[in-house]
Formats: sequence, C-alpha cells, structure tokens
Amino acid sequence: MRRLKFYGLGGQGVVTAGKTLSTAVSIYDGKYAITVPAYGHERRGAPVYTDIVVDEEPILANCFVYEPDIVLVMDDSIIEKNVDVAKGKRHDTALVLNTRNPEVAEMYANEFGFNKVFYVDATQIAIDCIGREIPNGPMLGALAITGIAPIEAIENALKDIFGERAGEKNAKAARKAYEQVKEI
Amino acid sequence: MGHYKMLDGNYAAVEALKMAGVKVISAYPITPQSSISEKLAELVDEGELNAKYIRVESEHTAMSCAVGAQLTGVRAATATSSVGLALMHEVLNVAAGLRVPLVMPVVNRSLASPWSLWCDHQDTMAERDSGWIQLYCENVQDVFDSVIMAYRIAEHPDVLTPAMVCLDGFFLSHSMQKVLVPEQEEIDRFVGEYKAVNLRLDPKDPILINNLTSPDEITEMKYQQAAGFRNAKRVMGEVFQEFAELFGRKKSVVEGYRTDDADAVIVTLGSMSGTAKYVVNHMREKGYKVGAAKVVSFRPFPYEELRRVLENAAKVAVLDRTTGFGAQGAPLWLEVKSALDGCKLVKSYIGGLAGRDVSMWSIENALMDIMEERSAKPDTKWIDLQGDPMNLRQVLMNV
Repeated sequence: MRRLKFYGLGGQGVVTAGKTLSTAVSIYDGKYAITVPAYGHERRGAPVYTDIVVDEEPILANCFVYEPDIVLVMDDSIIEKNVDVAKGKRHDTALVLNTRNPEVAEMYANEFGFNKVFYVDATQIAIDCIGREIPNGPMLGALAITGIAPIEAIENALKDIFGERAGEKNAKAARKAYEQVKEI
Repeated sequence: MGHYKMLDGNYAAVEALKMAGVKVISAYPITPQSSISEKLAELVDEGELNAKYIRVESEHTAMSCAVGAQLTGVRAATATSSVGLALMHEVLNVAAGLRVPLVMPVVNRSLASPWSLWCDHQDTMAERDSGWIQLYCENVQDVFDSVIMAYRIAEHPDVLTPAMVCLDGFFLSHSMQKVLVPEQEEIDRFVGEYKAVNLRLDPKDPILINNLTSPDEITEMKYQQAAGFRNAKRVMGEVFQEFAELFGRKKSVVEGYRTDDADAVIVTLGSMSGTAKYVVNHMREKGYKVGAAKVVSFRPFPYEELRRVLENAAKVAVLDRTTGFGAQGAPLWLEVKSALDGCKLVKSYIGGLAGRDVSMWSIENALMDIMEERSAKPDTKWIDLQGDPMNLRQVLMNV
C-alpha cells in the first residue's frame, strides 16, 4: 500500500488531481485507489490538500493519510501559509514539488529533511501546453517518476477527466513534465 | 457482466437510481448531498434519464412530492443530508405509514448545532424510529449495490417499507473509487418494474389516503408496519443471496471479520468498518486475537445474526459515530448490548463526530481499551477527545 498527500492552493486542481490519479491507477493500471478528500471552507488561493491511497488489493482503510509515502506540492509558496508539508514524513518519503527554482527545491530538501526530492516547473509547462496556470496535469506527469502509475495511465486518465480537448493538452503537459522532472 | 467506472459515492447512488428507472425526482440540494441532486438534474436535462424533475423549496416538500409521485405507481427519488433529513422528519413517518417503499440515499452529516458540513451519524440515528429500513455502506461499490438491493427489499409485498441507504459524507460521498457497474439489462431483470401494490392514486378511481384514523384501527396498522420489518429480515436474506449469485458480491445484514476465534471484537457502522478490518489485520500480525463486526442493516436490527457473529467473543467494543445524549450508551451500543447475553462485556465508545477522522489509532485504541477493561459495567468512553474538553469555547459572562 502506498499513501499520498497532495498539497496546493484552491483553484490549482488539487482535488481533481487526486481523482485523476485514482482513475489512472484503478482503470488504466488494474490496481485499486481511493481518494480521501478533505473538504473545508475552500476559497481560491487558500491551502487545500487531498489524500490518496493506492494498493494492489482492494483498499480497506478509509481514513486520512497521516504518514505519506509520497508528498506532492503544487505550489512552492505553500510554506508561507503555515502548511507543514513534512507532517508525518518518514525517512524514505518522496517529495514531488512544483517550482521553477532548483534552489527552492534544495531548500525543501534541507529544511524539511526529504531525502528524495523531484522538482519540475509545472506552472510554466501548464502555461505553454494548456494556456492556463493550472499545474495539476503536469504535476501528475511528474509524479509518474515515482512509479506510482505509468505515465501512459496518467495520460489516459487526464483525457477521461478533462474531456477530449483539454484532456489532450493536459496529457501533453503531463508527458512534458515527466520528461523534464529532475531529482536532487 | 458489467464494466468498471470511476465513481464517488454520490455518483454511485445516482447511477443506481438511474438504472432502477426512477420516473419522478424531487430533491433539494444540501452539502454533501448536492452532487446527487445536481447530477440527476443534468441527466434529466440531457435526456439520459426519462424522468420528471420537480424543483422544490425544501426537503419537507421534496419528501412530500416523492411520496405523492410514488403513489401514482412509479419509482420516485429524492436524497438528502443532515438538517435536510431532519426537516423531512414529519413526512418520513408519513411515507412509512402509507407503506410507500421509497428508496432514498442519505449522505450522513452531523446535525446542527454547532454547524458542521461533515460526517457523523446523528442525522440518520435521529430517524431510527421513523419506520424506515436503514442500510449503511462501507465503500462506494456498496453504495451502488445497496441502493439496487434496497428496491427489492423495500418493494417486496411482505415488506412495503421505505429504505434509507446511508453513506458517510465525504468519506464515501466524495471518495472516488472503482465500481463494477452491471449492464442495464441485468439491473432490469433484478429490480423489475414497479407496481404499486397497496395504495394507489388514480384520478379514474379516486380513494382517500392518509385520512384521520380512529384509535380503533391505528394499533393494528402499526402492527402491520412492525410485521413489515420482521419480514424485511427474511427478504433481505433472500435478496442478498440472489444478488450474490447474479453479481458475485456477497452481502449480509451483519458481517463478521475474523471473529471466529477473536477474544475482542469492535462493532461499527459505515465507512469506518473498512478501517476496522484493516486494523484487525494489523493487530492480528502482532498477536492480538481481535475481530470486527460491521452492522449493515441497522433497521431492522439483525440481533440474531449479530449474536452468532459475536458468539465466541468475551469482549465487545461498540463504536458509535453519534452521541446518544442522556442514554445509557449510544444507539448502536444499546442495540448490541440488548442483543447479547449478560456474560459479555459490551462497552460503548463514541468517536468520529462531525468529520473527525476515525483513524487507525482510534480503532486500535478502542480495541486495546476493551482488552484491558476490567469493570463489568464500564462507562461510555469518548475515544478521540483532544486536550481538556471543558476548557473549549467557554462562555465567560460580563468579563
């Protein structure tokens, strides 16, 4: 079983990203996934998170993720909003970060003690491929580097969730992020 | 033999209502049920569902319209949550008394006050004596399956009792999961056409329904309702059996999980039941002889089956997601306690209120606590209290 936590800001498609990963794993990779969404007093720009659990077997536990194996951060400014993205982190927890600045990725690695950090400029890829500053599609592409789901499964799920035209663009952005993602 | 679809609990409920061929929908949106009423409206608008959608101004009217519509001889649908269900209270009893076998998804959410959007079972527990069958779901597949089976149970001529299918707000209503959806022909064969078998509203043959009834008759009519619940137990068994044969998924009114040789068992309702099974597996690896029992049908309460499931357990922890203010214990505990003989230690636990997560630790703590419990009559334990609860939001006057 692998447990994931996605952090981001309202409007970045955090919850949709959870649903998309769940679809990629369940429908296009023959495994099982559930999303455990945490709905609150959302508004655009406020910190949001969602939890996803992935397994080879049907998933029994239906509760929040407290000790994530993978943390995905859609916006590197989230630490300014009193969100502790390292909460529950273990020594081998991987971080997948959206940032255009490798120094920020270094800072996340050092200050939060993540031993495995992947980063990509998903916002720029989203602007280039989709024409909008919504990084969830490319971030899911970058997430494929952790082996949680094949990139093809994520591309297919993005087409399902976003529909034909936006889906194609998101799938392209995901592929691009998958190719550009770097590890510290 | 069906196909996989990604659905959250609300869309799984909509899929089942649609496939059961509901002809009239009267729903009022409320968080976290809203996407049920919205999706149904969309399906009607797009012509995917051949039904009349009545926009109503409240849940009281939503239920009134549903009762009236179903009395004309079609399946009617509505759905609600929390204070919406509370507002239906009067008409819930009307539906039950008129023996109108409505099937209604209820997305469990806490009751005000304090205002909360989040899950617990106060809303449906407050309706446990309203004359409705109550089925609780563990996962999203369960939501689909339970709505479909509820039609067969509720509409059976020996039952004629409306049914709530209870799904936990957010933990199920908004959790996206893989669901095996049967083909329409399979559902058609299983659910069948709706026939009004008791009262019927027909302008060509008018009758008076819900008239003032004298004390001479009401006791007997209530007795008939009680008989409907007694029969519902038998019918549930038959329907679950047929469903398992056709669709391969085994259901039961109460499901024991590793209970055969368990010394201590935790009894749960709804989405926390999966977490309980997970924790049981985990604790078994550490050598604890524990088990879990999931109550699926809260009304009628399957006391005989529960007795069998808990036969070998000396200690029983009952975790309620509601308060049971002023009672000897919370509602599920009261049922379990009176189902079992006096030799067992049965302790009431309260947790997971208003969206507080029933985490793996909550379940493990309850099981560890009951294993260590020595008192024959222990007090109710609130398992997930934080800090000093009496210091929270104290109202200081004239300071």
